[in-house]
Amino acid sequence: MPKQIYDVIVIGTGAGGGMASKTLTEAGLKVCALNAGRRLVPTKDFRNHRMPWDMKFRGFGDPDKQAQSYGFMDSEWVEGVWEHEIPFTMAPGTTWMWPRCFAVGGKTNFWGRSSARFGEIDFRAATLDGYDVDWPLTYEEIAPYYSRVERMIGVASTVQNRPSNPDGEYLPPFNLRCIDHILHSGAQKIGVPYLPDRIAQLTKDHEGSPACHYCGACTTGCDTGSFFSTPWRFLPKAEATRNLDLRTDALAKNVLVDENGVANGVAYIDRKTRQEVEVHGRAVVVAASCIETARIMLNSKSRHWPHGIANSSGQLGRNLCDHLYGESANGYLPQLLGQPSFPDNVGDNQVAWMPRWQNLQNPREEKFIRGYSVYPGGGCTEYPWYAVQTEGFGSSYKREVKRRYPTPVNFTIQAPSLRSDTNYVDLDPEAKDPYGIPLARIHFQWDENVLKMWEHSKQVCAELIRAAGGVFENSADEPAIPGWSLHETGTCRMGNDPKHFVTNRFGQTHDVPNLYACDASVFLNCTDKTTTISILAFTLRTCDQVIEKFRRGDHQRV
Amino acid sequence: MAGQDLQRREILRIMGMAGVAAHFPGFATWAFAHTHPASGPEQIKPAQYKPQFFSDREYALVERLTELIIPSDGTPGAREAGVAEFVDFMVAHDRSQQYKLRTGLTWLNAHAEQTLGGPFPALTQEQQIALLEPLAYKAKHRPGEEDGRQFFRAIRELTVMGFYSSQIGYKELDNPALRYYAESPACPHTGDPEHKHLAPAKW
Repeated sequence: MPKQIYDVIVIGTGAGGGMASKTLTEAGLKVCALNAGRRLVPTKDFRNHRMPWDMKFRGFGDPDKQAQSYGFMDSEWVEGVWEHEIPFTMAPGTTWMWPRCFAVGGKTNFWGRSSARFGEIDFRAATLDGYDVDWPLTYEEIAPYYSRVERMIGVASTVQNRPSNPDGEYLPPFNLRCIDHILHSGAQKIGVPYLPDRIAQLTKDHEGSPACHYCGACTTGCDTGSFFSTPWRFLPKAEATRNLDLRTDALAKNVLVDENGVANGVAYIDRKTRQEVEVHGRAVVVAASCIETARIMLNSKSRHWPHGIANSSGQLGRNLCDHLYGESANGYLPQLLGQPSFPDNVGDNQVAWMPRWQNLQNPREEKFIRGYSVYPGGGCTEYPWYAVQTEGFGSSYKREVKRRYPTPVNFTIQAPSLRSDTNYVDLDPEAKDPYGIPLARIHFQWDENVLKMWEHSKQVCAELIRAAGGVFENSADEPAIPGWSLHETGTCRMGNDPKHFVTNRFGQTHDVPNLYACDASVFLNCTDKTTTISILAFTLRTCDQVIEKFRRGDHQRV
Repeated sequence: MAGQDLQRREILRIMGMAGVAAHFPGFATWAFAHTHPASGPEQIKPAQYKPQFFSDREYALVERLTELIIPSDGTPGAREAGVAEFVDFMVAHDRSQQYKLRTGLTWLNAHAEQTLGGPFPALTQEQQIALLEPLAYKAKHRPGEEDGRQFFRAIRELTVMGFYSSQIGYKELDNPALRYYAESPACPHTGDPEHKHLAPAKW
């Protein structure tokens, strides 16, 4: 059999890889997509419509296996979907939680769906406050790509005219619930924004996908494709072109190079046969998600690239940033005590947001630089978590749990860490995965600036609850441990100077002209916004470049 | 539009059932209220469920505690919801809790003997409640009962988990989870954004 050569090898099928596979195959390029896990079958793997009493452990999971679970999303509802075979290590002093989904579609199967655009205030942050460097592009350059993405995937929101949050093209927003109206009135009193979130969830039928049915179980997958995920929305389109060869259980090991050090393929492990396989192409797109992308590239050592491919700057794996998450405040709204229950959990509680309001006019107004956003939640949830904290037993207790059911509220902060030389990923010099590939080793600490945001948010959110007529109860003692947000960025940052940046402003590596990174690894930092819609927009822009280079002959068609 | 929504819901229902049928091994032995006659708890024979962790005697005590924690009063409680089965099943799969719960049950009986002259099951309901109150309420805590409090916290948490994740618990709260809607539900209290003038509380 003659050796098949593809135009492009794409590693990963999540937001970046899925967008790349769709865009490149629709342009007529032959693509081989490698995915480290299996395909999911929504009717089998997404048990999102299963009631807790239809599950062995009522959705709480097997207690003896809790220690091996990543918690939260890695639940009984999606058993066997999150990755447990490939471990990672942490440098002394680092704690890091790293839930990964290696199934086709990656984390887009279960993501939080919040979809705010980055803005000029993010791209020019360094000019404004003097920390780090600006992004190598302007908002005007990326804005049309955000619009294209929003039209493709469908994002529900409103035009909000906020300086840190450029508006886009939106489907009708989610309706506000009782708790939203009450909290909104409190937010107005203390002068902070409280608005409908930007949610990649369909409030109308869109591009052949049905509107949401508001069951509220999004975090365990959607069996109608009513929120954006690549297996529902992009990969079928890519496969329909007949230009896509999607290989599953294909764990990328390293990028292969020719005698000139230029990328010409990828070596991967077939996890079923445990054999190493090589696949060849004229260009390679690495979209394995921030840390995994760094691991693959650092492991791509050759005569030309002794420290990892495209790493002449020494910056590959460096500049790891993450969102600090944590419960800034919780409490309850006495206005709703004893009221009838209300379906508050329709969008998995992802209905409203409090977009960044700090340091907007004056970048040094607060004790910290930059800013954070907050996600409010609460009301009648699937399980009454407050009940364990409610004192007592007997009929009075049972009645109190019922009375409190519509009232709980909570606030989750999303705050960006600052770039630091001490936060990075490298390859563990000793530990290897079951296939002999060196493990990613994570070095990470929260910085002072982000911890100041955390303290600030605790005060503001407690104040908001009180201003809304509510009762403030607690703030978490500590923020969630790093990695929990799944929003890590950096490791292949983009910039104009090849000495200091791994990729250029199009996500193409400075060192290797046919090697691209299409995930949050190219971002300079994580801003106060979530990463997925920006991964989609930046990948679309990168793919336009790739297609243009094939058209011009910079990359040779097969 | 309405027709489409109906169709979509029907598809969802069938998909949901197929998923359950294909992958859920089933809990035929788990007693839920809807399978029992409504006339009263005494008709439920403990023998219907064979405990996996607790002895029969321990299990009877666990069952009694769950119904004291979430009683059958105006609405069904822990007994009708089969919470003791859930507690036993979870503890059977939770090595970290087994010692605490087993010794806790022993402590409770010994404590009952010491203070009220008989094992816990032999006490009247009032005596049982009086024994549990110092374990449950901070204001009533007594020195020397730390182990008892820790045990009660554990059994109470399991009871709460088991009850509010059961079909009966969902009914108790009128839990709206996993229902389907044609539009995202909107607050019905137009004109009262601060919710200061709601109809009087129902409970």
